[in-house]
Amino acid sequence: MAVLFISDLHLSPERPTVTRAFLQFLQQQAGAVEALYILGDLFEAWIGDDDNSPLSLEVQRALKQLSDAGVALYIQHGNRDFLLGKRFAANTGATLLADEHIVCHGDNRVLVMHGDTLCTDDLAYQRFRRKARHPIYKWALSLLPLKRRQKIARDWRARSRAANSNKPSAIMDVNADAVDRVMAKHRVDTLIHGHTHRPQRHTLSSGERIVLGDWHDQGWMIQLDNSGYELQHFDIA
Amino acid sequence: MITFRTTMGDFSIELDFDNAPVTSANFLRYAREDFYNHTVFHRVINGFMVQGGGMTADMQAKPTHEPIENEADNGLKNSLGSIAMARTSDPHSAASQFFINVADNDFLNHSSKTMQGWGYAVFGRVVEGMEAIEAIKGVPTGNSMGHGDVPVDPIEITETLISDSYADR
Repeated sequence: MAVLFISDLHLSPERPTVTRAFLQFLQQQAGAVEALYILGDLFEAWIGDDDNSPLSLEVQRALKQLSDAGVALYIQHGNRDFLLGKRFAANTGATLLADEHIVCHGDNRVLVMHGDTLCTDDLAYQRFRRKARHPIYKWALSLLPLKRRQKIARDWRARSRAANSNKPSAIMDVNADAVDRVMAKHRVDTLIHGHTHRPQRHTLSSGERIVLGDWHDQGWMIQLDNSGYELQHFDIA
Repeated sequence: MITFRTTMGDFSIELDFDNAPVTSANFLRYAREDFYNHTVFHRVINGFMVQGGGMTADMQAKPTHEPIENEADNGLKNSLGSIAMARTSDPHSAASQFFINVADNDFLNHSSKTMQGWGYAVFGRVVEGMEAIEAIKGVPTGNSMGHGDVPVDPIEITETLISDSYADR
């Protein structure tokens, strides 16, 4: 049986077409596999597991349906939805993965990551990430009332849209040394990541780096089965 | 970082908020307003610098916000790939125009708080797309509307993209 990898859907209330495509994907492609890995930025913004917005509830319901049907569900944090927590995992039947995770499937051994930690040349971003992921920052954020956090997310989404922050050019690409280092560290010859929104298969001296695309006019996924890895995209109506 | 799409390729810069807070905030403000879209690199001198951020393709100056204080005494150098604020002879007259150094221009650095020695405030550097800047620096130039070193074919900034890392700035 096959295993699927997706990332960077950036689901938000402002983009209902992508949400519809994702729900369809869960019922069709994802329904027929052994496991689904979501490698970060499933949501454009996630302000806490107590988010009771229609989008949040709809997506959690659909994911729970998938895991109930026997598909193993694994989720990594992205740079936008790093506040996904234990309650979300319990509600959906998903397992939250560490930032660097090895997937073993048949003879294949692949390292999966969101990819933002590989953009080491983006000093401003790495500084921002260290601050945002700090336990104290996250704790302080969680203390804010839900309505306040929902407003923060709304402002953030509006700002990102205005600044075109989701376009590949606004996201620095990965650093080659950082890629080599992390692949050597885990002794893998295959790395799958997202974040940069530059879908592509890259042949390296040490193996291959396969990058997922973000969901916009098209959806992207990687299928791993007996015949190997396949990077696929499909139109979103 | 901030990515600029131009008619000669894309380049990205990273602002130095630690060493040039006023200048960086000022620049980010213009970027967020899409002020730089449809401005051209109106002064290009190979081996020296490429300058833009203030004129449209027909060499009309865009109205700017108030000028800012000069932060050239922040220790940052006008080295290859750095971005600095352009200004008149008044040290504190920088507004929107910037230039990117395509050489190590030590003589532009701050040496004293006098009109001659104030220097030009460096506030960031090119982190991606230096090839586009290298392409821009080599274009044929001429005179236009009373200005010299104007690229014969206008080089325009078409789009400004701001990454999330500046979301809370």
